[in-house]
Amino acid sequence: MNYDINEEQRMIRDTARKFLSKECPGEFVRQMAQDEKGFTPQLWQGMAELGWMSLLVPEQYEGFGGSFLDLAVLLAEMGYCCLPGPFFSTVVLGGLTVLEAGSEAQKAEILPDLASGKRLMTLAWLEEEGSYSPEGITLTATSQEEDHILTGTKLFVPDAHVADTIICVARTAEAGKDGTAGLTFFLADAGSPGLRVEVLRTTAGDKQCEVTFDHTPVPKKNILGEPGGAWPVLKRILQMAAVAKCAEMSGGARRVMELVVPYTKERVQFGRPVGSFQAVQHHCANMLTYQDTIEFITYEAAWRISAGLPFDKEASMCKAWVSDSYRKLVGLGHQVIGGIGFMEEHDLQLYFKRGKAAELAYGDTEFHREMLAQAMAL
Amino acid sequence: MDFQFSPEEEAVLREVRAFIESEATPEMLAETYEIGYFYGAPLGREFIKKFAAHGWLVPNWPKEYGGMGASAMLTFAIKEEMAYAGVPLGFVAAHMAGPTILHVGSEELKKKWLPPIARGEYEFALGYTEPQAGSDLSAVNLRAVDKGDHYVLNGQKTFNTHSHIADYHWLVNRTDPDVPRHKGMTMMIVDLKSPGITIRPLITMAGWRTNEVYYDEVIVPKENQVGEVNKGFYYLMAALDYERMFTLGTYQRLFDQVVEHTRKTTMRGQPLSKNPLVRQKLAQLATEIHVNMLLYYRLAHILDTGQIPNYQSSMQKLFATETSQHITQTAMEILGHYGPLTKESKWAILNGRTIRFHLSSVVETIYAGTSEIQRNIIALRGLGLPRS
Repeated sequence: MNYDINEEQRMIRDTARKFLSKECPGEFVRQMAQDEKGFTPQLWQGMAELGWMSLLVPEQYEGFGGSFLDLAVLLAEMGYCCLPGPFFSTVVLGGLTVLEAGSEAQKAEILPDLASGKRLMTLAWLEEEGSYSPEGITLTATSQEEDHILTGTKLFVPDAHVADTIICVARTAEAGKDGTAGLTFFLADAGSPGLRVEVLRTTAGDKQCEVTFDHTPVPKKNILGEPGGAWPVLKRILQMAAVAKCAEMSGGARRVMELVVPYTKERVQFGRPVGSFQAVQHHCANMLTYQDTIEFITYEAAWRISAGLPFDKEASMCKAWVSDSYRKLVGLGHQVIGGIGFMEEHDLQLYFKRGKAAELAYGDTEFHREMLAQAMAL
Repeated sequence: MDFQFSPEEEAVLREVRAFIESEATPEMLAETYEIGYFYGAPLGREFIKKFAAHGWLVPNWPKEYGGMGASAMLTFAIKEEMAYAGVPLGFVAAHMAGPTILHVGSEELKKKWLPPIARGEYEFALGYTEPQAGSDLSAVNLRAVDKGDHYVLNGQKTFNTHSHIADYHWLVNRTDPDVPRHKGMTMMIVDLKSPGITIRPLITMAGWRTNEVYYDEVIVPKENQVGEVNKGFYYLMAALDYERMFTLGTYQRLFDQVVEHTRKTTMRGQPLSKNPLVRQKLAQLATEIHVNMLLYYRLAHILDTGQIPNYQSSMQKLFATETSQHITQTAMEILGHYGPLTKESKWAILNGRTIRFHLSSVVETIYAGTSEIQRNIIALRGLGLPRS
């Protein structure tokens, strides 16, 4: 076993840390939470120049050819500064789905643009039921000559308002016994007729959208992967997305520690630093335990994905543990830092709000415990 | 990064498993269980001597002292195998005293003690705690007076588990009462059969035995002093950093047995394992066991990369022992009314092991540094928080 990142990953980390500390301070995160678009073209361009969108894209599609573990290292830095914008939706949700399900021609068409930052993407699968089961997907796709006609509403779609391409999971046939029949990925252009996007108001200012398809035609050549075969691929992508989200939280955990621990050494009450009180020390010790375990379990799951090993069980353990532990870590951070952390002008509250969104994304703790129970053959 | 054992490590672990499978008799396992997994009872000694002949008792010691010159990683992994299998696990000589002798002992001391320890021939009992020196070990006052070529010892130790079945006492005592407390303590190896030593049993709520040990004019030769005089406290603290590893295998095995129990037990027409609440609890425990594994092997990684674990040892001790309590607590919840039945009861489930472990788990977060002491260490050393 080896718990250290390699030289290349250290470079990715150091570059990201340097760039983001300059380009993405807390004030920027607050502005972007209010901003209609939620990011700036300059920032996106800067990220593209650093090759971040190309990280996971294989070299044959003009990418960097990095590993999922490399991506996890980068995502941790993004989580560290609460980076707003469509990186996660484009690279993790869009990029991975194309990589996992796309034909050679589709990859050759989409991935070079994605890698250069020209094409923004997202994945739309949740609907009104808000559940991660296949039964929750009811949006219909009816065959009509050269097209499928998509009708229905997707919810909680990240960054759909700026995406050029929305990958929509729709049903081409009746759900069948296990609910997975007929589920198919469609590559829908944002400008398609009848496609409407509305940004939902969220607490953290992350951009989640309602996407309505009203008799929207999508050409049959834009089917991604096997018609009717989307569910196993979607499940795999959601597990990877869960681990990717944990990587963001692991960076967030480090930042919360940095916001809180030094403060306890300076803040004086009763004539001594509050960090010298054992009640406070024990909270901080618990926070460090959460931070370390969040990091290891995330990197272990990311490593398994990179190494091509089965990762379903580890990904569920990871998301269950990290969702839970990150919430506790941030909660303790608030308790330790006191009133000032409760203020809008303090950065700590950003991590509380973002943490809540991350906790729910791609399955919360209870969901993943149940997934794990299934994997344990309970 | 890499979170799996190397093929070479896997090969040794397969050998270890096969050896335990073929050599661990039910009688030896029963004996070991009855004394709380400590080393020193007759059947356990017989088993461990054969086990140790492969170098597996102290894999990371140099070959000249009876080890394999292997990595800490393999050492930690073998120990976890031993814990899961239920063979003797608590070794003071091999896993606590030995490493200190290796780090601070004279060449003479090393040659005398390490090879037989590596062969499993000697077992030590830990002689740290005294009635007034629990978490605050610097308050030790079992007195050792220098008489030229020997010391004379008087005083009392307590909670010295398995000193009644061990051969030697791994003792920290007070050699200088006139300096700041932590600067006047010395480590010694004392033959537990020495005249003047009285061992009195204390029976724990889990039914396992620990002891009080009284010293009355006990003579200890100077050659049994470990390292320098008055450095005992520092050796003791350093040893905690070097060699601390808290296996969870014993409790993990109970967890696996409880999981199996939920699959086989039907309630209202369906297996307990199909109950959503039970599933949530078991999945949570599986996750905690996994997280502990990551903290445990991190210590080995730190050692194998030439560093010394610091707060990380405390974190793993804290996590492992709290997880052990969580495992037994949950197991008791799942067993319900059957949980408290002892093995003598005809309705007992899993031979009454659950309640036995539930009781014994109480001490996990107390011995070898309470959870509070561990959190202090994490905060002070890991985060650099101020003492005042």
